[in-house]
Amino acid sequence: MAEATSNEFAVEVRDLTRVFGVRKALDGVSFDLPAGAFLSIFGPNGAGKTTLVKVLTTLTAPSRGTAKVSGFNVVADAVELRSRIGLISHNPLLYPDLSAEENLEFFADMYGVPDAKARVRELLSAVELDHRRLDLVRTFSRGMLQRLSIARALLHRPQVLFLDEPYSGLDPHAVEILDNLIAQIRADHTFVMISHDLTKGLTLCSHALILARGKVVLSAPRAEIDETEFAATYRATVGLGVA
Amino acid sequence: MAGEATGLSLRQFRAILRKDIVMELRTKEMITSMGIYALLTMVIYQVALSQSGSAFDPRNIAAGLLWLAFVFTSMLGLNRSLVHEKDQGCLEALLLSPVDRPVIFFSKAVGNLIFLLIVQVLTIPVFAFLFLQEGSYAGEWWMIPLALIAGAVGIAGVGTLLATMSVNTKGKDFVLAVLFVPLMYPLLLAAVSATSAAILGGDGSVQQFWTGMGMMAAFDAIMLLASFALYEFIVGA
Repeated sequence: MAEATSNEFAVEVRDLTRVFGVRKALDGVSFDLPAGAFLSIFGPNGAGKTTLVKVLTTLTAPSRGTAKVSGFNVVADAVELRSRIGLISHNPLLYPDLSAEENLEFFADMYGVPDAKARVRELLSAVELDHRRLDLVRTFSRGMLQRLSIARALLHRPQVLFLDEPYSGLDPHAVEILDNLIAQIRADHTFVMISHDLTKGLTLCSHALILARGKVVLSAPRAEIDETEFAATYRATVGLGVA
Repeated sequence: MAGEATGLSLRQFRAILRKDIVMELRTKEMITSMGIYALLTMVIYQVALSQSGSAFDPRNIAAGLLWLAFVFTSMLGLNRSLVHEKDQGCLEALLLSPVDRPVIFFSKAVGNLIFLLIVQVLTIPVFAFLFLQEGSYAGEWWMIPLALIAGAVGIAGVGTLLATMSVNTKGKDFVLAVLFVPLMYPLLLAAVSATSAAILGGDGSVQQFWTGMGMMAAFDAIMLLASFALYEFIVGA
């Protein structure tokens, strides 16, 4: 069993590079994120945001550089790390032909969650889906899918939560539920969120980062950020296009 | 610690297998498409051989026809088993969980094996009705199921590996077919030989059967071990 090497930072990224063919999706990205922080990552389409999250969640191996999440190396300690992270994506990552309860019980088994049935009931209640627990997921609305996806990501009580455009396509009620859920668990988790919504991202975050063409353009604690200046920097990156 | 890890792996194996079976029972996508395809193939064989005359004994080519039908049928089903995961983004969720990749391989392969065996069970009576008239089956009765199981294990194992490999490619059906048939060649040869010995019987048929079974067992063992070793690399690519 691999041991975590540091508790000070929840995420440590050093010179991270990911190459696809001749294209550098990530090009020497470095930053640190303290435990308990909320990082919002902004950037135009093709900036490398999703690739960065995929590397940090062990779904893609880096071509060069190192990354640690909760003190675990994303390559060498991938299996140990996976039990400590959760991902909420704009894609719900749920099986449409299983019910809400069956989906959560399946993922509870995958994560070895103790007393799985009780935990599943608790989360279904938290995301206000207990009345639909036996319904097939293919009958759910976008907002309901996203709520169930949040429950799936929280099942194993992860230390670091990755949110890949979690508000994308949500109705106001679903946005409210997601906001409330994040507020409830904020104190116990570190968050890394990809967002195109500058207002939302800056409201939630304690740290912000702008990526463009695979490189870090700006990285700073929220307290040091001037919103107008930040918005201008962000707008300037939009024209830079794909890495 | 090791016991804990093994316990979790077993729980994960059972969860993936149960999930695949429950989803298949609910949608019946794989079994229906594979079953209908296999039955249609049998009917086409029957039509193709209808003008072959009374001197022609279909038993001589029956084993080949049977395995041809199973190979094409299994390609259809194997692709679906992984496409299902990929289409909904669920493969990503599966890979995100702390599961050793070989556990995913074995649970998927066992699921595919179960579906293949069900299709075989449905197909064999039709095959016997069309090509093996009463009294024409000359071998020992137990030979056929043994040959079918040994062949299905190899098809499910290699097929699951190749389906995982092809699911990320653009022409996934084409890629699977191009890789599957050449790799399966030794297994098919052995399966046809063993099944043929079972159908035709006669002197030396038992020895021919066991030679075929031995080749299939060796193929299954080598390919399952290779798949076990390669799956982590392939599923993460």
